[in-house]
Amino acid sequence: MPRVSIKCAAVLLTLFPILSSTTARAAELSDTEFKRLHAELQPGDSPWLTIPWKISVLNAQQSAAKEDKPIFIWAMDGHPLGCT
Amino acid sequence: MLKTRFIPVAIDQAYQRRQKDSEGEFYRKIASQGPRSNFNGTTQGFYIATASGKLLVYNNNRNPERVRRLMTEKLGEFSRLETSARRGKSIEATTVDKRFNPTPPEGGLVIRVRAKILDGYEPTTDKWQRIFQTSMSRDNLWVSKTEHQALVQGKFPESLQQRIARFHLVDNTRGEPPFWNEKDVRKLRFSASSGRLKGEAHLETADHKRGYEAAFNGIVEVKNKKVVRFDAVVLGEFWGRGKYTGEPPKGRFPLAISFTLADGSDVADQIPPQASRGWVQGYIR
Repeated sequence: MPRVSIKCAAVLLTLFPILSSTTARAAELSDTEFKRLHAELQPGDSPWLTIPWKISVLNAQQSAAKEDKPIFIWAMDGHPLGCT
Repeated sequence: MLKTRFIPVAIDQAYQRRQKDSEGEFYRKIASQGPRSNFNGTTQGFYIATASGKLLVYNNNRNPERVRRLMTEKLGEFSRLETSARRGKSIEATTVDKRFNPTPPEGGLVIRVRAKILDGYEPTTDKWQRIFQTSMSRDNLWVSKTEHQALVQGKFPESLQQRIARFHLVDNTRGEPPFWNEKDVRKLRFSASSGRLKGEAHLETADHKRGYEAAFNGIVEVKNKKVVRFDAVVLGEFWGRGKYTGEPPKGRFPLAISFTLADGSDVADQIPPQASRGWVQGYIR
């Protein structure tokens, strides 16, 4: 029994640096890294963002009737403006 | 061409094909003329139609050249229609299906959420794969009035922590993601103190096939009893896939998720959170 415990302890001691480093990586996010990532995760000036998307088909119908233009409906599972 | 010669509209058709109101009726009128007229299933794709509800084309091809060619063709067809068939009368909404028209909580907040995988993909020369591999997602987090007031008081309410963890700490960079069950939340500790947000989260499914271990850091600013800034980032290691989020990087990969207070300047600020679809009460109580 003690021999098994020693083996277990040895295995845990071997794994400890790996486990602790993984946990540490997940638990650390410095202020500098936060600021850098927050800036990086902004949409920028993609041409995509210049398209005047409407989000109501009825609202688009009203504009189409008024402006004499066809309606282009992009219909997806999940909102297309949510996958930019 | 899309900006000047069309009226572009983007929708999650899971709403419109079910809505029992004027919006849903007009959408189904158009979609029923195409091949996806069974409204018990998806009707996704793109449609070009007139204001009178006449469908000119349905397609589900994402090749830009093909889409551009179809758009040009249909503009020509549109111009040759009789004026009455082309324009139609403006349709006013006489009915509104509340289930599919949720609005952000009064007195609450809308926060933009963006996610990106920072590394881990195998190199590829496939242009479509590269688009997925470099994509950044967008969703909205809704904060209730009570939670907003708690943030103003320097607290981070448990309900908000849970909503962020279960519905927004997801890999939605390649499609609609699976969310987390309550039991998947193994560890969750977000706090607010002196304008600083800190914390950590460990989410993992019972079968261990999908998980996220991450740290949280951010800033919250309050003026005149209102949150005027909410900048935060969650960074950690994600693993696993969902039904519609196939082909993630192998093993664990770095996933960053940012949070930014919406100011209403982007039309996407009005879109309900993905996790609230059809069941707002389950998302925000």
